[in-house]
Amino acid sequence: MNSIQKLLSSDESIISSHEVSLVQGWMRSSKHLIILEKSRDLKALLVASEGVDYALPIDSDFKFDIDCESKSKNAGDVFISITYQKNKLLFEMLPVSKTNAFINELLKAMEHQSKRKSAGDYSWLKKYSKKTDLTVENQGVVMDARTCTVPSENRAVFVCTCAALGKFVILGIEVLTFCWTYDSVIKYQMSIREQDYTYIQGIQVFIGTWNVNGQSPSCDLSDWLTTTVDPPHIYAIGFQELDLSKEAFLFNETLKEDEWLRAVTKSLHPGAAYQKICLVRLVGMMLIVFVEENLAQHVHNVASDTVGTGIMGKLGNKGGVAIRLDLHTTSLCFVNSHLAAHTEEFERRNQDFHDIDSRIAFTGFLPPKSIKDHDQIYWLGDLNYRITDLDLTKVKNLINAGKYQTILEHDQLTRQHAKGNVFLGYKEGAIHFRPTYKYDVGTDDWDSSEKNRAPAWCDRVLYKGDGIRQQVDYKSVPSLKISDHKPVMSLFNSDIRVIDAVRYRKVHEEVMKKLDKLENEFLPQVMVDNTEVVFDTLRFLEAQNKTLIIANTGQVPVQFEFIKKFDDSNYCKDWLHIEPYMGFILPGEKCDVKLEVYVDKRCASKMNSGQDKIYDILVLHLEGGKDLFITVTGSYERSVFGCSIETLVQLNVPLRDVALGKLIELESSKDSGTLSNTSYSVPKEIWFLVDHLYRHGLKQQNLFEHPGLPSEILLIRNWLDTGSSDPLPGSVHSVAESLLLLLESTAEPLIPYNMHPACLTASTSYVQAKQLIASLPLCSRNVYLYLCSFLQELLSHAEENRLDAKTIATLFGQIFLRDPPRSRDPSARGKSQTQTQARRKANFVYHFLVNDFSELIAPVNHPG
Amino acid sequence: MSSSGQYSYSYIFKYIIIGDMGVGKSCLLHQFTEQKFMPDCPHTIGVEFGTRIIEVHGEKIKLQIWDTAGQERFRAVTRSYYRGAAGALMVYDITRRSTYNHLSSWLTDTKNLTNPNTVIFLIGNKMDLEGSRDVRYDEAKKFAEENDLIFVEASAMTGENVEQAFLETAKKIYQNIKDGKLNANMTESGVQHKERGGPASLGDSSSSDKPNCSC
Ligand SMILES: Nc1nc2c(ncn2[C@@H]2O[C@H](COP(=O)(O)OP(=O)(O)OP(=O)(O)O)[C@@H](O)[C@H]2O)c(=O)[nH]1
Ligand SMILES: [Mg+2]
Repeated sequence: MNSIQKLLSSDESIISSHEVSLVQGWMRSSKHLIILEKSRDLKALLVASEGVDYALPIDSDFKFDIDCESKSKNAGDVFISITYQKNKLLFEMLPVSKTNAFINELLKAMEHQSKRKSAGDYSWLKKYSKKTDLTVENQGVVMDARTCTVPSENRAVFVCTCAALGKFVILGIEVLTFCWTYDSVIKYQMSIREQDYTYIQGIQVFIGTWNVNGQSPSCDLSDWLTTTVDPPHIYAIGFQELDLSKEAFLFNETLKEDEWLRAVTKSLHPGAAYQKICLVRLVGMMLIVFVEENLAQHVHNVASDTVGTGIMGKLGNKGGVAIRLDLHTTSLCFVNSHLAAHTEEFERRNQDFHDIDSRIAFTGFLPPKSIKDHDQIYWLGDLNYRITDLDLTKVKNLINAGKYQTILEHDQLTRQHAKGNVFLGYKEGAIHFRPTYKYDVGTDDWDSSEKNRAPAWCDRVLYKGDGIRQQVDYKSVPSLKISDHKPVMSLFNSDIRVIDAVRYRKVHEEVMKKLDKLENEFLPQVMVDNTEVVFDTLRFLEAQNKTLIIANTGQVPVQFEFIKKFDDSNYCKDWLHIEPYMGFILPGEKCDVKLEVYVDKRCASKMNSGQDKIYDILVLHLEGGKDLFITVTGSYERSVFGCSIETLVQLNVPLRDVALGKLIELESSKDSGTLSNTSYSVPKEIWFLVDHLYRHGLKQQNLFEHPGLPSEILLIRNWLDTGSSDPLPGSVHSVAESLLLLLESTAEPLIPYNMHPACLTASTSYVQAKQLIASLPLCSRNVYLYLCSFLQELLSHAEENRLDAKTIATLFGQIFLRDPPRSRDPSARGKSQTQTQARRKANFVYHFLVNDFSELIAPVNHPG
Repeated sequence: MSSSGQYSYSYIFKYIIIGDMGVGKSCLLHQFTEQKFMPDCPHTIGVEFGTRIIEVHGEKIKLQIWDTAGQERFRAVTRSYYRGAAGALMVYDITRRSTYNHLSSWLTDTKNLTNPNTVIFLIGNKMDLEGSRDVRYDEAKKFAEENDLIFVEASAMTGENVEQAFLETAKKIYQNIKDGKLNANMTESGVQHKERGGPASLGDSSSSDKPNCSC
């Protein structure tokens, strides 16, 4: 608000502002709606939180509706929608009188627009809006809900339009997801039911105003302040021209403040004790509020403000001072103003009124309260309106004849008020007292100076608010003669609402119960189309997809996320991929989640050994709500990929013909090292692949570097698994990659993990490296030496295939001495370590590519 | 309104409801929050969530209740939800003996996975089906006494004793706090004490309560 006030040009003012909520279900974000006015003509609506979100001209494109559909749903809530061109904003407001007032102002502004002939230039609005891409000049920018981002911290910012969504539309909302401002909801519900737990108590309010013309209080003020039998409950006493000195004007300092305070305090009704609630002064304008002592304990939230409208429209020689307070639950505001002087300046006075009305702001409230935000407003002061178009002597004669009514027809305030130019909505009681201005000091005689000022009712009291039931008295006090003005007093019978503690508790209880119920109703809810996702038979390296549809069936936006179970490291198994694994869904909307299962070299061995299967329970968590379990199942067709070397050498039939139990048994007994004598020395699968390369690939350039074709690799997989008698399908590159894949899919690398440290240390010594290889389990050693022999053969054709020992050593170093899964550290240190490790692995293997190791070789029992 | 502190509830208690499938856990929760019976309640596939504010010794307490899936296959997953529960409602079906026989296994889980002061309340549900009774009252009563559980037979259908089960549990937890057995501000306790400022958002509290969404 303050930042907006700073932006106001001198001809722009805030007509009204109101706190509203942009709500969807129970998610709300607080905004201020501010009606701006330029040059008392063009109007605009600002939607603001900290800064201004939107600045909308109130022109022919501006539409506004009370949303009845939503209203019926939640009785009592006021929903209004504001449409600007194609964009629509939906607000929830408290069903209180301020809302009515604000809506009235909005309607008035629109009515004003409809009477205008031209569209009006709204370029002045630009300075308010920080989001220029959604203001008038550029409405072409349309984002839809699907582009909404879900950034960190449950905070969703989404922008959508009518066009994109078709129905429930919100534009530019910042939603603090699931931020249940529980207290504010209760407050709101309680305010709806205020009638149910309050009762009305009548009080008497005394209003006094006096332009003292710089005089000191040399007389007793009882004639003015103590005129009733019963003591009033509240006094609001205003002075003008308290001090006419330069010091008062320039430095806002005066001794008169204390003098008059003391004089007033002394003359308050003796029938009661009073407590001074607040005193506010700007130069010569002073306002003091007293409340009867017993009632004073029920006064809360006292605040004051001052507005200067004098020289340059700012200084305090003219203007207004105001005090506001809450008495029980009723808010009261007292304004004392001294408006522009001189007979012909009535329009200036009107303007002064509007300036004070719009500029008085009681800070310390969010948003700051203005005068109109009060249940009861008492406006007093030297308003300075004069009598025009009536001959002076005639006026005096009419006064003497007591025909005030005739003169009042020529009273500027009466006329301006009737025209609606000033004090709109305020009332003034009938005047049955002589004009209060201008007298010769010390007398009841009209001004006899050269200026010979015409009598006028300068000093007035106006009021606004349903609770102000009756004006009991409204008169001047001629017996006080120290000033050229006579003081004026008015007495009101007003109603305030008092909380009945017992009924309050009861209503509060009911509200809590109701909210408690609603809270369950407004929990995030979704339906998934399937909680048991079943996949067809899966095969190695063949991905399958299924779509899970999450539909928001609740009344609030949902933020979902697949979360980890108890002690799992990830929210799903490593053969499963979920996209997206978290997201945001509006009520009535859906989100398609892709589930992809894919068994690759990382997880094949666990499938073969029975350590893992295609079975996972996913936990779909709704932020602030329940969790759903999604079961993912499928069967896996085992492949030689993922079998250990130990298992493969014992398989003398194709894998497809091996019973599942047998395979699991083999996999689990692999460490025992007991190989039957029917075992091959190297797995037949490795032999087939190497043999193929031996026959077709020795002269092939880029062998092992050039990738194979995925489709061919699948054919090779089938060929190996079924033991086909057809020729091995696929290019040599596909065969080469299959060989690598076979070696990479085992649970442990060819050289087991526990030997890696020793191998890395031994990388500089062929003798040590040989010893380590000799200590390998028999079948691993056989495969190792078999492959190295083949690689040596390959390198002997380097002239044709252009391979070099270093490259081959690096590649096979990574394969024979494969790192354990997920041991890669992304940090720089980890990376350089991996590099030296990779170099050592290459060195280790290199020995076996350039040296003769025939002494290690046992006779090979070739299969087939 | 001048003051706001008076609106707040002072505590949040976390409850879990456990027991074999079909014993009526979801119906009990629904009866407690909505005062209605759901005749065709589907199996819970996940963990449902419900809340209600109650009053114990003049203090407002918000119950956050997690209703777990009873199916055996979810057992491993639902174990994640025990941690940080201040109260555990362990339910069996008086017309199905097997659900009673499984109680010791549920009890073991509860004892292992919650803190020692978690109040365990045993509910023999479906007491309206007296004709098909399969578990005698005194038998269950004895089991409860042996294991230091509070016990009541209830009916999610008629609502009998449902309110009582939830309230008694809260009273016991409240008593534990007053006796200093339970530190209201440790996350493990399943209890949050609210200062005057008003309750934290639901999102906040549930995420800190939930054992496994530390992601
Ligand atoms: N007669 C009777 N039927 C009940 C009662 N409580 C539950 N039921 C019925 O029992 C069946 C299972 O109730 P649920 O509440 O879904 O059981 P649950 O324990 O939540 O089951 P899961 O969610 O699978 O763990 C439903 O058909 C209910 O209508 C009861 O007190 N009396
Ligand atoms: Mg259930």
